[in-house]
Amino acid sequence: MLKTAMAGLRAHTLRLLLTSLAITLGVGFIAGTFVLTDTIKAGFGQRVTAEADKVAVAVLPKAERPGAEPSTPSTLPPSLLERLRALPGVTDAQGLTRGRTPLIGKDGKAAGDMPTSGVSVASGPLNRTTIVAGTGPGSDDAAAVLDENTAKAEGFRVGDTITVLDHTGARHPFKLVGLFDPGVDQELAYTGAVGFTPAAAARMTGEAGFREIDLAGADPARLKQAVAATVGAGVEVMTGTELAARLAAQAGVEIDAMSLALLMFGLVAMMVAALVIYNTFNILVAQRTKEMALLRCVGATRGQVFGSILIESVVVGLLSSGLGLLAGYGLGVVTMRVLEAFDAPLPTGAAVTLTPSTIAVGLALGLVVTVGAALLPARTATRVAPVAALRTQVEEQTFRTGVLRMLFAGLFLAAGLGTAGVGALALQPGQPSTLIVVMAGGALTFLGVLILGPVLVRPLSALVGWVPRRLFGVPGRLAVDNSGRNPKRAATTTVALTIGVTLMTLISVVTASTRATMDAKLDEQFPIDYMLASQDREAAVPRSVGASLRQRPELRDVVQIRQTTATSGARRVRIGAYEGPLQPVVKAGSLRDLGPGEVAVRAATAAEFGWRVGGTVPVKTKRAGTVSLTVVALVDDDTPIPSLTMAPAQFDSAFGAVPDSSVLVNVEDGISPDHARNLVDAAVAAYPTVKVSSSTAVRGEFDEALDMLLMIVTGLLGLAVLISLLGIANTLALSVHERTRESALLRALGLTRSQLRRTLSVEALVLGLIGALIGVVLGLVFGWAAVRVMADGARYAVPGGQIAMLVALSGLAGVLAAVLPARRAARASIVGSLAAG
Amino acid sequence: MTLTETRRHAPPAVVARGLTKVYGQGDARVHALRGVDVAFATGAFTAIMGPSGSGKSTLMHCLAGLDTATSGTVHIGDVELTGLGDKQLTLLRRDRIGFIFQAFNLLPTLTAEQNIRLPLEIAARQADQVLFDRVVETVGLKDRLGHRPTELSGGQQQRVAVARALISKPQVIFADEPTGNLDSRSGAEVLSFLRTSVRELGQTIVMVTHDPMAAAYADRVVFLHDGELVSELVAPTPQGVLDTLMRLEG
Repeated sequence: MLKTAMAGLRAHTLRLLLTSLAITLGVGFIAGTFVLTDTIKAGFGQRVTAEADKVAVAVLPKAERPGAEPSTPSTLPPSLLERLRALPGVTDAQGLTRGRTPLIGKDGKAAGDMPTSGVSVASGPLNRTTIVAGTGPGSDDAAAVLDENTAKAEGFRVGDTITVLDHTGARHPFKLVGLFDPGVDQELAYTGAVGFTPAAAARMTGEAGFREIDLAGADPARLKQAVAATVGAGVEVMTGTELAARLAAQAGVEIDAMSLALLMFGLVAMMVAALVIYNTFNILVAQRTKEMALLRCVGATRGQVFGSILIESVVVGLLSSGLGLLAGYGLGVVTMRVLEAFDAPLPTGAAVTLTPSTIAVGLALGLVVTVGAALLPARTATRVAPVAALRTQVEEQTFRTGVLRMLFAGLFLAAGLGTAGVGALALQPGQPSTLIVVMAGGALTFLGVLILGPVLVRPLSALVGWVPRRLFGVPGRLAVDNSGRNPKRAATTTVALTIGVTLMTLISVVTASTRATMDAKLDEQFPIDYMLASQDREAAVPRSVGASLRQRPELRDVVQIRQTTATSGARRVRIGAYEGPLQPVVKAGSLRDLGPGEVAVRAATAAEFGWRVGGTVPVKTKRAGTVSLTVVALVDDDTPIPSLTMAPAQFDSAFGAVPDSSVLVNVEDGISPDHARNLVDAAVAAYPTVKVSSSTAVRGEFDEALDMLLMIVTGLLGLAVLISLLGIANTLALSVHERTRESALLRALGLTRSQLRRTLSVEALVLGLIGALIGVVLGLVFGWAAVRVMADGARYAVPGGQIAMLVALSGLAGVLAAVLPARRAARASIVGSLAAG
Repeated sequence: MTLTETRRHAPPAVVARGLTKVYGQGDARVHALRGVDVAFATGAFTAIMGPSGSGKSTLMHCLAGLDTATSGTVHIGDVELTGLGDKQLTLLRRDRIGFIFQAFNLLPTLTAEQNIRLPLEIAARQADQVLFDRVVETVGLKDRLGHRPTELSGGQQQRVAVARALISKPQVIFADEPTGNLDSRSGAEVLSFLRTSVRELGQTIVMVTHDPMAAAYADRVVFLHDGELVSELVAPTPQGVLDTLMRLEG
């Protein structure tokens, strides 16, 4: 039987090649993800090891309790550095300082979206900073280095003079002597960084303590013990190797999250590939009915026939997974090159490797999917009766809607829609449990549609075929009839496409709805033209700015918002006040007049702390001791006010005259945007850390981020669609094969080659459109459920243009898939085909 | 002048001159036709007979533009087939030739009526309703028009095929073993429809068959043997056809 199986493989090379491609693409994507993440992790590892090798022992403050609101990170006191330096066996000790030192860009405003971090660059053997151009600051307190990305973004070169603000906001000029690479430090890569000498760093950041103390010396293990004995509790001591392992692990968490997201898309692709393979093997079995029957006639058992199909699938699975691994490796290499070219903040230095675990996973996955998908067709093959060898004509598969099918489809649909409906309508939006319920409902519904597929094909082909039937004459009519001829096969073919289209529709609905929801919220609750705030939303806008803006007749509304951190019980809270005509959306209670001893709380904070309207909240204040505040209102989370909001006068007497953290400005009607902008810019010209953002710019950035997300997700789902197209091509190829004589008859009757080709193209168009239509309907429904559960009050928006384009592209893709089968059909000789079995 | 006399003076519908057809190369060369000269009169029912492998199907395929001859010429009316491209041949078949095959004659997705009208629709021509009614009447399919092929008997299917061939009033109908798959009663019915269409509608029919009974319905029988035209009978009887065949085989 092995021989016949191999002969079968050789005889159907082209068909199997298409199948292999489906598996190769799926496995390639998954393997590529692994290769990429492995390489990035290895790169991190190399970097980290290289850096940490210089350190014998590192001393760090104990990690903070997770979940606390952000505050200043704990540091190690300078006295500890002196004590450690004096320890026997310590050849050098350096404290690492880190703080905020905003770099002033060429426009006179603080550079970037976040204030740049100021870090100390040690001199001597413990210097862990990688200088990539120029030199380090050495011991010159007037010299500084910049991370290369910030330098590039702001247009600074080695030799320039840069201006950096210290912790009080005073300007200091520094000579830029070099550029450095922040390495694996994600925080520095995110904020951008300026490196100073340790002395200058301490002065600029105003930080007396250290984030980390590095020690050099021989025998790290013994040194670690000695250090641990000296430092006492509240401090972590680890060897350089241990530090490297921790840094690598921290970097790895993010990589793993990215890898998981990519793998989800890989799995969708594999699912589609499984459908394509299932269809292909069905096709192969159907094409070889006579061959199977002949085998049975000459004495092959059912088991042997079954086995021969499975052997084929094993060979196909192994070969294509192997190719997939190669493709994945290539994908990894290309992606690393692209990341390198775009200066992504990821290490690109490590050699791209195909690890044994990637190979194992890739091969196993490809094999399991291929063989699994071939099981049912193989069983069908065993049912071929020996007498079929003697029949001349291929039997037309008839399909009747079975009661059982309707029953199961009905059950699944009812269960799925019911579950999703309950999740979307009855459960609390925004909760993970709700999301899971809705997703389960979605999966059940999809299964229902899958079962119902063959029943849907005919009415849908009549529906989408309405136009082609009238537009393309005889070819159109024949094509539409043919598309519904084998509903089971058509359903499997189109469902593969449906998966991709459903997910694409879903994501476009979700992004459009997010956009609509945000727009609505911005319009309702945050109708502002300009916002003045520092990069990190700290209290940095002097109150005089808001006060002077309020005097301008060109500006209609000016809202000043100020806040500070306080503790309530053991927890930190953000507490503040606002002045100006802002109308927060009240969810419970009333916000008419905030009196003394009263507080309004954001709904999420209230839920977190378990506060209700009417309850009291103890807050430790700076000037008035611990006060007890009565909750009078819960406000919507999207309102731009502090978590706890007091009346302005009460806030001042409790916390002092804290500067504003943001000022919101609305321009009077009829004032030109340029004039308004100049006015606002002038008001903050003296404060480089205060940046002005306009709502159009904010929306623009938001839109851009959404568009980017949509593009990436659509691109990743494109793989699934591509694989499903291979399925359409395969199905059409079988149709061509089965209808050889029919095509020949039509050609004899005067159908031209191009008309025959058109028949196939229209059939593919109809199949593509059916798949897209089901996908769009499902995507719209799922999208609605997803939007319902996303957040309370989310708006449902349907991006009509995008969806229409998706449908059109699906149809077009179907037509493309028909090109090869159609050529083949048109080329066949009439006489030969008429004579054929 | 009577209809028959008109036809006698009309030029032949199909003429082949020096037709040869060679398959394969080198040692595997097979001469299917070795220089056939034959003409088929307009308005006549001609049968092509011969034992298996005599080249009768090849001859029909070459005459109908389904296959190209190695050398020689074929004329359908005043059009020479030799040298026509695929597209021109297709259009020629569409406009001037009708076909009836042994089996698998109809499209399973279309009803009987749609199958009958198919050639006109492919050509985007309007059906002559009078002709349609007459043809349907002649072949006795009036109450079966809405049925699909799977709901029709073999004889009925072949009658649909006959009607389809007649509906476009082709210059010539080629029938390839039209009764090969039918029982003798259905076969006889189909053959009488063919003869009736020649007598009453003035249709030209060329039929390939190996059945002497079928050949006897024709006005004339030509005999092929080893790719050559060896004999012919005018106004044949079954016995006469059988005798000629026996002589050829022997």
